[in-house]
Amino acid sequence: MRFGTAARGYSDLMAGTLTPERTARRLCELSADARAAVLLDAAGAPAGFHGVPKSRSGDLAQLALTVFDAVDRAHRDMPGGPPEQVEIQVDGGTVYGSRTPRWTLAVVARRAALSSLMLMDLRAVLGELEGGAPIRRSTPAAAPALRAEATEEAAASESPVPELGVE
Amino acid sequence: MRERRKGPIGRAAGLAEGVAATMRRMQREREPRVLVYDETGYARLVQPDGRGYERLLETAERMVELVDESDAEAKPRRPRREA
Repeated sequence: MRFGTAARGYSDLMAGTLTPERTARRLCELSADARAAVLLDAAGAPAGFHGVPKSRSGDLAQLALTVFDAVDRAHRDMPGGPPEQVEIQVDGGTVYGSRTPRWTLAVVARRAALSSLMLMDLRAVLGELEGGAPIRRSTPAAAPALRAEATEEAAASESPVPELGVE
Repeated sequence: MRERRKGPIGRAAGLAEGVAATMRRMQREREPRVLVYDETGYARLVQPDGRGYERLLETAERMVELVDESDAEAKPRRPRREA
């Protein structure tokens, strides 16, 4: 019994662990404005993708690699440390990218996406992938009451106007 | 001191100024731009004549196109209903 409980707990923990394959999906789930994402490893090989079919994931990965190659080129003319994140706004959307020494994550977002939020999400997801604290998603403090099955009788008994004096 | 009330021409001019400002802001927001951030989050704008600027824009445009194409393939147009 004790083993079963521990095993179930471990299984739940593993289910919550972010893997490279799930990282791109996680990012797109976090932000409604993220349309597609790709994760590259340190060698530039695709490690996960979301939002595009598998046949196009290689192209998306290659383009993400090109972005950071061009970023490094552009950075030569600028003061400061090497860029960690990039934001490119074009006509039909915005491309964001973030990298750590081990991973590079790029996302194609809608033009309306808020840059600061998208860059924060990128950083948070990469942090989680590298073993950081998992991203906590808020849930309502009070669980919504279970709705009774909708029936015609129940609908008929419902009054659209609240009754006075009835608790 | 009380502000003098605007006449119909003044009000129309104010309205036109507001519309023009909105149009300018929308135009500015549509313009392509490239920003890079260092590890502290400090942003730097890549100038249009800067090295790599054109390549970054072209690559980003290609990425957006690729996702558009993927979406279009995933949601093929419904055939029109015949009357």
